[in-house]
Amino acid sequence: MLSYHFDWSIILSGTYFDWLVSGLKVTLWLSASGILLSFLLGLCVAVMRMSHIAPVRWVAQLFLEVTRNTPLLVQIFFWYFGSYKLLPTDLNDWLNNHNFEFVAALAALTIYTSAFIAEDIRSGVLSIPKEQLEAARSAGFSYLRSMQYIILPQAVRITIPPLVNQFLNLAKNSSLAMTIGVMELTYQARQVESYTFKGFEAFTAATVVYLALSVVITFLVDQYNNRVLKLHKAS
Amino acid sequence: MKKGFMLLAMILTVVTAAAAFAAPPANTLAAIKKKGVLVAGVKDSLPPFGYVDEKTRTIVGYDIDFVRAIAKRLGVRVELKAVTSASRMPQLEEGNIDIIAATMTNTPERAKQIAFSDTYFRTGQAFITRKGMVHSLKDLAGKRIGTAKGSTSEQNVKAALPTATILSFDDYPQALLALEQGKVQAVTTDEAILAGILAKAPNRNQFEIPPFKISDEPYGLGMRKNDKQLVAFVNKTLLAMEKSGEAARIFDKWFGPRTPFGLHRTFKIVAGK
Repeated sequence: MLSYHFDWSIILSGTYFDWLVSGLKVTLWLSASGILLSFLLGLCVAVMRMSHIAPVRWVAQLFLEVTRNTPLLVQIFFWYFGSYKLLPTDLNDWLNNHNFEFVAALAALTIYTSAFIAEDIRSGVLSIPKEQLEAARSAGFSYLRSMQYIILPQAVRITIPPLVNQFLNLAKNSSLAMTIGVMELTYQARQVESYTFKGFEAFTAATVVYLALSVVITFLVDQYNNRVLKLHKAS
Repeated sequence: MKKGFMLLAMILTVVTAAAAFAAPPANTLAAIKKKGVLVAGVKDSLPPFGYVDEKTRTIVGYDIDFVRAIAKRLGVRVELKAVTSASRMPQLEEGNIDIIAATMTNTPERAKQIAFSDTYFRTGQAFITRKGMVHSLKDLAGKRIGTAKGSTSEQNVKAALPTATILSFDDYPQALLALEQGKVQAVTTDEAILAGILAKAPNRNQFEIPPFKISDEPYGLGMRKNDKQLVAFVNKTLLAMEKSGEAARIFDKWFGPRTPFGLHRTFKIVAGK
């Protein structure tokens, strides 16, 4: 067929609209919780990676190498299918009855992204003159406390632009969750396509929503950067 | 949907045009006997229903065995013509073939155009489950069911089991893995595909295909609407084949336990159905 007849009405209201909205909700949950958790985990890994205790450093190094150097899709399958052999039967049964698809996808996204975030934060920390740490330590702060109060607040601000990239990647990567049956936005778009053969409309809608989501994330982080962090700087 | 309607309109135009200009014999049964040949439209690339055998270079399969059995009782030889799902009805209406034996589901829409024999093969969408866990469709209500994305199976199972959670995987092997790990309680699609998956599964003896289906696909042999004598003869032959066990033997030959499909025959050829 040379000409394609566009019909936007089917995805702008009714059942198919509801499907896309329910998909968007899952995508938002997955992205928001993934961003929060991966940031926290990334911070921990970054601090461990720079620890003066060698075994702690090694653990962080191993974590970084494994998670950064394997495809996200493989990690999603690992957490969903591979964890079966590692976990006790009762826990498996419990998880299988409690939306394990979402949990596995969230775990994979969080762990995968946290590795990149950790490296970004580490490079931010390295850009802070090391005399600051020495000064903090000599003023009586422990290593963790000097990180918490002196180094990380500065490092994170420097790290904001690359962090936004990681957050955006996470939001978009969340579409891979559909491979294990998480009914997020891309899954629902495909669902609409297979019911209506209106693939162009469904995926255009999904594209617009992802774009909007990315713009919102960028905007929010920019706002935080401008308002909160600059206030800190001024004071 | 417009595309679908246009295609339908085109098919209908061809079919009605063909019906208007065709000159098939008034009594096909007598004509077949006179010519000494039964011309059948069959599939030639759909194992095991109709496909070209690599060694003999002839078309063989479940459908073909039925055509041969009918021809044998007529005392005529068989001529096979390859047809597609789109071409088979026009070919019949034009008189190029006398009978269609090409995995054709007997639907009310088609039955308005042509005559169907009694059902000689019955399939539909079924489930793979753990052995002994599921006895009827009710046992699957509210359960989690795996299938593959974008298939009509997904839509059928949603309609049949509104309370179930449907998990769509990228492909059937993943759905089966999810079943093995208890992430879903059943995997669903057409029975022939399920049988193929199960045949390849490493621990297939833990699973089974319970004998119920959520969609019904009764295959009938297609003949021209006015060929009453031929339809009667074919139905008589099918019933005789059922009685003698020949129909069951043909099923076992192509789908039975010793084939990769390993299916059990859950239907019988019954008059008037």
